[in-house]
Amino acid sequence: MPGADKETDLTERIEAFLADLKRGGSGTGPLRGSGEMARETTYLLRRITAQARWSSAGDLMEIIRNEGRRMTAAQPSETTVGNMVRRVLKIIREEYARSRGSSEETEQQESLHKLLTAGELSEETFREHFVHLKANVIEAINELLTELDGTTDNIAMQALEHIHSNEVIMTVGRSRTVEAFLKDAARKRKFHVIVAECAPFCQGHEMATGLSKVGIETTVIADAAIFAVMSRVNKVIIGTQTVLANGGLRAVNGTHSVALAARHHSTPLIICAPMFKLSPQVFTTCSLSLNDVNSCFPVLKILSKVNVHCPVFDYVPPELITLFISNIGGNAPSYIYRLMSELYHPEDHKL
Amino acid sequence: ANRGGKQKKGNVTSEQEEEEQPLQAVLVADSFNRRFFPISKDQPRALLPLGNVAMIDYTLEFLTSTGVQETFVFCCWMSNKIKDHLLKSKWCRPTSPNVVHIITSDLYRSLGDVLRDVDAKNLVRNDFILVYGDVVSNIDVSQALQEHRHRRKVDKNISVMTMVFKESSPGHKSRCEEDDVIVAMDSKSKRVLHYQKTQGLKKLQFPMNIFQHGSDEFEIRHDLLDCHISICSPQVAELFTDNFDYQTRNDFVRGILVNEEILGNQIHLYVTQDGYGARVSNLQMYDSVSSDMVRRWVYPLTPEANFTDQQGQGCTHSRHNVYRGAEVSLGHGSQMEENVLIGRDTSIGANCHISNSVIGNNCTIGDNVVLDRAHMWNNVHISSNVEIHQSVVCDGAVVKEAVRLNKQCVLAYNVVIGPNLSLPEGTVVSMHHPEEEEEDDDDEFLSDDQEVGHTFNPAEVGPEGKGYIWKASMNDTEDEELAQCLWGRPLSKQNVCKVVSFQLEVLGTLQRGLEENIVCDNLVLEINSLKYAYNITLKEVMQILTRVVLEYPFQQQGTQLTTLQYTGSLLPLLKTWSPVFKNYIKRAQDHLDCLSAVEELFLEQDTHQTAMVKVLMKMYQLEILEEEAILKWFSTGATNDKSRQLRKNQGLQKFIQWLKEAEDESSEEGE
Repeated sequence: MPGADKETDLTERIEAFLADLKRGGSGTGPLRGSGEMARETTYLLRRITAQARWSSAGDLMEIIRNEGRRMTAAQPSETTVGNMVRRVLKIIREEYARSRGSSEETEQQESLHKLLTAGELSEETFREHFVHLKANVIEAINELLTELDGTTDNIAMQALEHIHSNEVIMTVGRSRTVEAFLKDAARKRKFHVIVAECAPFCQGHEMATGLSKVGIETTVIADAAIFAVMSRVNKVIIGTQTVLANGGLRAVNGTHSVALAARHHSTPLIICAPMFKLSPQVFTTCSLSLNDVNSCFPVLKILSKVNVHCPVFDYVPPELITLFISNIGGNAPSYIYRLMSELYHPEDHKL
Repeated sequence: ANRGGKQKKGNVTSEQEEEEQPLQAVLVADSFNRRFFPISKDQPRALLPLGNVAMIDYTLEFLTSTGVQETFVFCCWMSNKIKDHLLKSKWCRPTSPNVVHIITSDLYRSLGDVLRDVDAKNLVRNDFILVYGDVVSNIDVSQALQEHRHRRKVDKNISVMTMVFKESSPGHKSRCEEDDVIVAMDSKSKRVLHYQKTQGLKKLQFPMNIFQHGSDEFEIRHDLLDCHISICSPQVAELFTDNFDYQTRNDFVRGILVNEEILGNQIHLYVTQDGYGARVSNLQMYDSVSSDMVRRWVYPLTPEANFTDQQGQGCTHSRHNVYRGAEVSLGHGSQMEENVLIGRDTSIGANCHISNSVIGNNCTIGDNVVLDRAHMWNNVHISSNVEIHQSVVCDGAVVKEAVRLNKQCVLAYNVVIGPNLSLPEGTVVSMHHPEEEEEDDDDEFLSDDQEVGHTFNPAEVGPEGKGYIWKASMNDTEDEELAQCLWGRPLSKQNVCKVVSFQLEVLGTLQRGLEENIVCDNLVLEINSLKYAYNITLKEVMQILTRVVLEYPFQQQGTQLTTLQYTGSLLPLLKTWSPVFKNYIKRAQDHLDCLSAVEELFLEQDTHQTAMVKVLMKMYQLEILEEEAILKWFSTGATNDKSRQLRKNQGLQKFIQWLKEAEDESSEEGE
């Protein structure tokens, strides 16, 4: 039966994806960028929408929520997966609301007025069946995919506004977004870049070779020299793994020290992050457990009485950040919560 | 359509495209020894939990992440349990990238039998990975595989096996003492030239032919940890079939090295610096591998990764390597200090102190409990005021109030230990009575300790306790060497034992010689035949003979002799047996060897050093030893402080002086 084949095929794909997620963070550093991860997740979600059996929006949302939970459990540190799931859920809600005919605005906005007046009307069960819902949802997901494809270019386009000639810019480790950003500015401006190497995986080295190939003058420094060199730097531009709901960052190990050094010298700290990295999580002390602790071997050989900790991520509080540059423009960290409400529905924050 | 899982293992799939064969592995889920008795009476070793996950899961995960696509699991002991476990696990799901075939038989008695079966059933078509079911590793073997395949292509199938080793300093606790090896290898080609287990040996001998191999760079390494992972060619299975006496991998390696000229096969090594690989071969290793896993040395096989994909198995990881499963409740004032893993639904009472421990699911722990390096499996109930140090507590055990378990205790399944008891170090308690063996292996147990019938002894397990104590030598932590001797002498000990037996035989011969007045020629004949029987070198014969003769008075009359009595009984004996000595001491070197044997003996018996002079005098007079030899020995033979001290002995100096004068006189007389 073709239907059953499709189902098994779908399950196989989901299993393969999960296995990949689990092993994706193994030892050799992130093999895939977040952008790729987001794209893969969205493809998979589109496939689930197309091939799974569902009759109403509620069913589909339930299916996607379950799969989303499994995927986030497989690799908790990879937040883009969860973000895409939430985006798709929001798309489904919107399409449902549009099919029903009611306008989105009154449904989605949370406000004191709404709390006082709405009351029982907020019992939305998503049970109605609409013929074109599937097609609409898939089309909306395709739009999301197009947006994902264009994020790096959108960010890079804003480079000329922020980088001026003869500036000294510092960056940390390797970020594809920042690399594109700097390369775009280098077409018209001449400036220097200082790259902190970011031990123990030293991804700063790859970044430096990439930048120097385009003719940008690059200097690589050790992490310990960051504070010393900071007085000469005009701007610090870095990428991040996740942007948290309060405007803080979960970025690669060592970013917090860069941020503190920048604050001390009053150097602006600019974050280039596409919107799909925005996550509704908030930093709490126990979320240190979400910090992926990596393999210890690059640091030290195995010893009996020594415990080696090699955490992968750092938390940077929002006070240290000056500006977020994303594919929809530049924003202050205090505005992030607002952006989030446009992307995700409050009920989806906890899958 | 691209399958994500297979796509990932880039270099391995490209090899496979050339060969068009899936990578296979042979997993031996039985260790063929009884290290984990009595725990493994109820549960096969491959299913014992390490960090709340069965050991075989670690091995299968390691194989799958290397890119193995077909695994043959061979089970012998309790194969049903292993089969059930595997069928329920993620390896047998239809979407698993690794296809698992389970083969069971009651007839397997060793690794050799398994490989002979592999050959008979023609299961492997190509190079395969051979592991045991209790290997925990995260090593990426694809590099080793590439090298192996390359070697075989280049050298036309001469290399039969590549063993994977990890660099690790000697004495590190992940190095199992039984498996310690010293390997001589050719640095460039990584070929194994000499392989020897070093357990218990104080001296090592290397044959000269490893130095004459034609390669100019070779290394002798003792910093290798045996991961028990081997990449084998299909010839390995055939070789095992050809040689019926190969039982273990060790036999195989030795056999290949010995038969090198005849068969031309070679074994190579792959040494990895990063990556972790170890085999849980005894309880000591269980403890160290478990603590390495909790301290994340086996990343990505960490507790919170839940790589077995079981429901509810996930746990959260916090600072200081503290992992907590779901629904864990912690009482007021309890501390989990560091390196602690707690399974789900466990409740811990107030004011407990837990460190370096692994606790399973559904356990209940009372108040004021101290756990240090404790390994507790599921459904364990621990009452208040208990202290557990470096022990293993298996499923369902109950530990009542105020019990103290000292180091290296083992409580097997469903045992109850009564209140107010302190178990001494190394106690093993099990619900199975030690004498209850129904199989034919009774001779391996020393169960004479248990005098009572089959009731529980309250002195041993407490007033409310249930369980029988197994003799401490069954517990394989400190008494490993003793245990090994019980279970059959390993190869390295045989040489030592041979010499001892020879010595005893010579002693017996000499004794009979005295009692029955046997002519010295016949004694020599007897000693010669013993030499051939025990394969002892001539030099050793002479040294042992000297030793036996010099120790003879001690043997006959006990060790509490005074020097006078000693010499009184010894000197006539020397006279009686002087023809025997003269038969063996002919060349100059023999004199020196005999003297060094004499010296060694008197260094040990330092109360009788004055007797040495008399002995030497007598031997000189009987013309057993010549004066040149004695003088040479005296002047040059001092190798360490003790022997120098010996030479300062007054009597000895006088003797030497007299000898010199005598020599001068005799040479003056022109004789």
